Amino acid sequence: MSLDAFIAERQARWSALEAAIKTAKRGRLRTQSASDIERFGTLLRQTSSDLAIARRDHPDAPITEYLNALCARAHPLLYRGRPWRVGAVGPFFATALPRSFRAAWPYILSSLVLMLIGFVAGWVAAYVRPDLRASLVPPSLFDEMARGQIGTGVQDAPFAAAFIIQNNIRVALICFAGGMLLGIPTVLVLLANGWMLGTVAAAVHLGGYDYQFWSLILPHGILELSVIVISGGTGLMLAAAILRPGQLRRGEALARVAVRAVLLVLGAASLLIIAGTLETFVSPSSLPDGVKLATGGLVGVLLYSWLLLAGRTSRRRRSFRFDRPAETPA
Amino acid sequence: MHGASRRACDDESVNSSQLDTISVKTSDNVTLGYSVAGLGSRLVAQILDNLVALPLTLIAILLYGALAGVFVTSEQGAGFAGAGAGFFAGFVYFGYFFVAEAVTGGKTPGKSAMGLRVIRIDGSAADFGALAVRNVIRIVDVAVLLVGVVVMFFQPQTRRLGDLGAGTIVVRDRAMVTLAAAVAPPPVMLRTPDAGPPIDGLERIGSHERDALRVFLSRAGLTPKLRAELAAEIAQRLLDRLQLPQGAPERLWPPELFIERVYLQLDQRYP
Repeated sequence: MSLDAFIAERQARWSALEAAIKTAKRGRLRTQSASDIERFGTLLRQTSSDLAIARRDHPDAPITEYLNALCARAHPLLYRGRPWRVGAVGPFFATALPRSFRAAWPYILSSLVLMLIGFVAGWVAAYVRPDLRASLVPPSLFDEMARGQIGTGVQDAPFAAAFIIQNNIRVALICFAGGMLLGIPTVLVLLANGWMLGTVAAAVHLGGYDYQFWSLILPHGILELSVIVISGGTGLMLAAAILRPGQLRRGEALARVAVRAVLLVLGAASLLIIAGTLETFVSPSSLPDGVKLATGGLVGVLLYSWLLLAGRTSRRRRSFRFDRPAETPA
Repeated sequence: MHGASRRACDDESVNSSQLDTISVKTSDNVTLGYSVAGLGSRLVAQILDNLVALPLTLIAILLYGALAGVFVTSEQGAGFAGAGAGFFAGFVYFGYFFVAEAVTGGKTPGKSAMGLRVIRIDGSAADFGALAVRNVIRIVDVAVLLVGVVVMFFQPQTRRLGDLGAGTIVVRDRAMVTLAAAVAPPPVMLRTPDAGPPIDGLERIGSHERDALRVFLSRAGLTPKLRAELAAEIAQRLLDRLQLPQGAPERLWPPELFIERVYLQLDQRYP
C-alpha cells in the first residue's frame, strides 16, 4: 500500500486516539466510562499495529515517527500498576506491612546486629576510658537523675514532640535512602545509634542509675529503636540488591525490592508519631518508674504481636484448594 | 511486567547507537521508542520546580515560626521549635516533588513545562510505589553532594539514583510531529502530464523506490538548478537498477521527466 493510501485509510483512528489522549486528565483515563476505555484500548492496538506496518514499509517517513510518539503517549495511559486509594491504608497496616516485615527478616536481623555491635562497642568504650565519660554523657544528666529531676516533664511539649518525630522520620528515611549508596550511610547510622545508646547506658550503669535511665528510655525507645532497625533493614535490602543481584540485572533486582522496602519504611516511620508522643508525654513525666517500664513492655508486646502475627494465613486456608489459586504473600 | 522490562533492556543493547531513546516491547509485540529526557532539560525542569518549591518551603518555615512565636514559652521550647522548623522545611521541600508527581501521574509543574514525564522503564505509568521510591531516594540524590547529578551525567539514560531504585525513567512526553506535518505534501510533476510510454525493467524496482521518488518529487524549496542536478544523480541510479540496454529511448529522456514517469508508473503498479 502506498504511503498516501495508508495514511488516508487509517488516519481517522489516529485522530480519534489523539483526541482520546487529550481528554485524559492528570495522566489517567479514569474519568471515562468503561466503554470509552475499551474503545481506547482498541484504538491503541490498531494504531500500534499501524506503527508496526509503517516501520516495515516506510521506516524513514515522518508518519512512522508520528505513530511512535502517539503510541508512546497512549501506552502509559492504559498500562499501569494498581492505583493507590485511601481505602488501601487499612489493609496495608492490617496485613501487608506485617507480612513485608516478616519477609524482610534477614535484613532486619542484620540491621539489629549492627546496632548491637555499636551498642557493645559504646559500652566497652565507656568502661575502658572512664576519663572520656564526661564528654560522652552530659554531666547534667547524672545530676538530674541523682536529684530525681527527670520526672519534671518537658516544656513546650507539642514542639518537642514535633521535633522528635520529625528528627526520627528523617533518620528512618536516610537509613532507607542510604541503601542506594551501597548501604554505607545506613550502616553508619545504625552503628552510631547503637554507640550512643551504649556509651550512655554504660555511664549510667557505672553511676548506678540503671532503673531511672531505662524507665526514661524504654517507653518510647522500644518503638523508636524498632523503627530505626526496620529502616536500616530496608536500606540493607537495597544495598543487597545492588551488590548481589543474583540472576537479575542490577536495576531490575533493585526495582523489585525497592517498592516493598519503601512501603515498609513509610509504614514503620508512621509509628514514630506514636513513639514521639510517648517520648514527650510519658518518658519524662512524673509517673512512677515502674509504670513507665510497664508502658514500654506493653508497647513492645503490642508492636511485636502485630508485626509477627498479623496477616498470617491459617494452616487450613494455606492448604491446597482446587477452587482457588494458591495465595502468594504480599 | 518484569519480563517486559528485561526485553526492553535487550532491545536497548541492540540499539545502543541510539542512547537517547529506550525501546519498549508492548504486549502486542510492537516496539515503542521513548525519547529520553537529557540532562539539560532535566536540570531546567528542576530549576523551575525549585522556583515553586523553595517559596513553599519558606512559607512553611514562616508559618512554623509564627506558630512557635505564639505558643512557645521557654528557651528549651524555642530550641525544639527552631530545629523542628528546619526538618519541617525539608519535608515540605521533598514532599512537594512527591505530591506533584503522585497527583499528576509523573509530571511536576517543572517537568510539565519542559514536556517531560516519569514513566516506568517497561513503558507503563509510574505508580504510587515507584514514585515513593524515587522521591525518598531524592534525599540522597540532592543532599549528598548532588550525587544524583553526577550519576545522571554518567548514566547513559540520564537516570538518577532514585530512578535506578524505582525502575523509572524521565521521557519526553510532547508530540513532536503532528499528523498534518507527518502527511507529506503531494508530489509535483513539472515535466510530464502523464505516465508516458511503459518503461522496460520496471519490475526490477518496487514500492520502496516509489516512496523514495515521492519524497524527492514532493520536496519544496529546491531551486530549478539543484532539482535538475539531484534528478540527474537519481536518474543515473535508476537506469542502472532498471538495467536498460544502451540504446533504450528512456536513456535519452531528460532526468526529471524520466523520474516523474518512473514514479507515476510505479504508483500505478503498486497502488
